Amino acid sequence: METHSELGGMNLAFLDVKNITRELLNNNNKKLKIIDNINFSVEKGEFLSIIGPSGCGKTTLLRLISGLDRPEEGQVTVAGERIVKPDVSRGYVFQNGGLYPWETIEKNISLGLEAVQGRNFDRNLVKHFIEIMGLQNFENAYPSQVSGGMAQRTALARSLILQPQLLLLDEPMGALDAFTRADVQNIVFKLWRDTKTTMILVTHDIDEAIYLSQKILVMTPHPGRVKEVVKNDLPFPRKRDSTNFLKQRRKLQEILSFE
Amino acid sequence: MSFSKKRENSSNTSEKKYWKSWNIKWNFFSILSVLVALLENVFISSKENVNNGSYRIFLGCYLIYLVFIYLGGHYFSLKVRLFGGHFAQLNFILGILLCVQDLLTEKFSIFSLPYFVSFAQVLDQINEDKSLLLQSTGASLLLWSLSFAFGTLIGIVLGILIGRYRQFNYWSLPFLKVIGIIPAAAWMPLTMVIFPTSYLAEISLIVLSVWFPVAFMTKGGVENISPTYFEAAHTLGFNEIRIIRKVVIPGALPNIFVGIFTATGLSFTMLVISEMVGARVGLGWYINWAKGTGNYTQVYAAITIMAILFSCIFIVINKLQGTALRWRPTVN
Ligand SMILES: Nc1ncnc2c1ncn2[C@@H]1O[C@H](COP(=O)(O)OP(=O)(O)OP(=O)(O)O)[C@@H](O)[C@H]1O
Ligand SMILES: [Mg+2]
Repeated sequence: METHSELGGMNLAFLDVKNITRELLNNNNKKLKIIDNINFSVEKGEFLSIIGPSGCGKTTLLRLISGLDRPEEGQVTVAGERIVKPDVSRGYVFQNGGLYPWETIEKNISLGLEAVQGRNFDRNLVKHFIEIMGLQNFENAYPSQVSGGMAQRTALARSLILQPQLLLLDEPMGALDAFTRADVQNIVFKLWRDTKTTMILVTHDIDEAIYLSQKILVMTPHPGRVKEVVKNDLPFPRKRDSTNFLKQRRKLQEILSFE
Repeated sequence: MSFSKKRENSSNTSEKKYWKSWNIKWNFFSILSVLVALLENVFISSKENVNNGSYRIFLGCYLIYLVFIYLGGHYFSLKVRLFGGHFAQLNFILGILLCVQDLLTEKFSIFSLPYFVSFAQVLDQINEDKSLLLQSTGASLLLWSLSFAFGTLIGIVLGILIGRYRQFNYWSLPFLKVIGIIPAAAWMPLTMVIFPTSYLAEISLIVLSVWFPVAFMTKGGVENISPTYFEAAHTLGFNEIRIIRKVVIPGALPNIFVGIFTATGLSFTMLVISEMVGARVGLGWYINWAKGTGNYTQVYAAITIMAILFSCIFIVINKLQGTALRWRPTVN
C-alpha cells in the first residue's frame, strides 16, 4: 500500500492525529490557540471518547478530523491519506443534529444515499435504518414534529446509512433527558458492535464515555491539549453499577479535577 | 394512524385564528342587519334612478349564506361554528354599512352622482358590463401571471447567484442595486418605445417591479442559512446542484416568500398603471376608458372587481406559502 510521501514508510494507525494546532483570530485580531499540539491515534473498529469541560476544543478537534476545518499546523491522516476536506467516508453527527428541517425524517435519512447512489438508491436500506432506529410511523414527520431522541436517531441514521469508515459524533446525546439518553447510547453501542465502524464520540458525560468506549481521551482547556488517554477495557456489555465501572469513573474524575 | 400531531396542531391554529367565540345573539343580529338592509332598499324610495335587481339578489344570497352559517354552526359543524362565530360581529357591521351607504347615496342623495354611487348601482353596472369586465379581468390576470412568474423567476435565480457565489456577488450586486432601486414606473416612457409591442412593454414594467424585492430577499435568505446545513451536505456527499436544490432553495424559501409578498403589492400597482397607459384590454384600460367617458360607476365597478381578483391572488399565494413551508414549526 502506498502512503503519503511526507509520511515515508512510517507505520500508521488507522486514524493518526499528528501535532495539530488550530488558531483563530480573537476579537482584538490577535491569534488565539484553540487547540495546541494534539497527538493521538485510533485503530480500525475502535471506539474512542473525547471528554473535557465545555469550551476546551472538542468540537474544534472533531471538525479537524472530519476535514470541515484545516489545522494551522500538523496533519490528520485516515488510512494513510491526509484529510483536506469533508467526505462521505467520514460521517459527522452535529452537536445540534443538523437535520434539514424542511425534509421529512425519511428524506433526511435517504438524501445522502441518493446523492451517492443516484435516483435508484437502495430504498430497502432506508427502510432498514428506519426500523433499527425505531422511526416507523414517523417517516413523513418533519424534524420539528418529533422528539429530541428521534431527531438524534435520525441524525445517526443519516450518517450511518452511508457506511462511513469513521463516524464522528459531537455530543449526540448532549441535549437529551436521562431516559432518552440511555436509549440513544444503547443504539450507538449496538450499531458500533454490529457494523464495526470506527467511532469517535465527543461528550462531557463521564459515564457515557465509560459505558461506550475503549479509549478515553481527556482534554484540558485554554488551549485545548490532551491530558491523558485512558484505556477503558471493561468487558461488554457494561454495567453502570459494577465496581469496575465505578472505579473507572473515580479515576477519570480525578484526572479531570487535576488541572 | 399513529401520527396525529399535525392534525392536532392544525385544529389548535384554527381555534387561535377564529378566537371570537360562538354567540347565538351575534348570529341573530347579523342576519337581522342584512335583512334590514334588504327591506330598507325595497321599501324606501330612491331619489336616483337605479336598477336595484342585482343588489337585491346579492343581499338575498348574503342572507341565505348567513342563515346557513347560523344553522350549520348551531346544529352540525364545529368548523362552521368556529368560523361563523368569529365573523358574526363583522357581518352585523357589514349589514349596517350596506344599509347606511344605500341611504346616503341613492335614497337621500346626500352623496350624489356622478362621483358617489350606491353599491346597488355598482353591482348593476357590473351586471350590465359583465362580458367586457370578464374579458378585461381575464386579460389582466393573464398579463399579471405571465409577468409575475417571469419576474419572480429572475429574482430567485439572481438572489441565489448573489447569495451563494462571491464572484457573482462582487461583479453584479453594485449594478443590480442601482437598477433595482429605480421605481419601475420611471422606466415607462422608455419601455414604450424600446419594446416592439405595448404588451411586451407592459410585461417588462411588471417584471421590473417584481424581480428586485424577490432577488434581495432571496439573497438575504441564502446568506442566513446556517453553515451547519452546508457542512452536513459536504459530509453527505452532495454536489453543488444538490446543495442548491436541497439546501439553498428550501433554506431561503421563507425569505423568498417575504419577497414575493412585497412584490405582489408592487406588481398590482404596476399592472394597473401600465394597462392605463398602453393597453387596449384589461381592468386598468377599462378604468381609463370609463374616465374618458365620464362614467364613474364603471370606475367603481372595476375597483370592485380588482378588490376581489387581487384578494384571490393573495389567498392563492398564501396557500402556496403554507404548503411550501409546512415543515416550519407552528408559531404560537
Ligand atoms: N469561530 C470561532 N471564533 C472564535 N472562537 C471560537 C470559534 N469557534 C470556537 N471558538 C472558541 O474555541 C474554544 C473551543 O470551542 P469548541 O466549540 O471546540 O469547544 P467544545 O469543547 O466543543 O465546547 P462544548 O462542550 O461547549 O461544545 C471555545 O473557547 C470557543 O470560544
Ligand atoms: Mg462542542
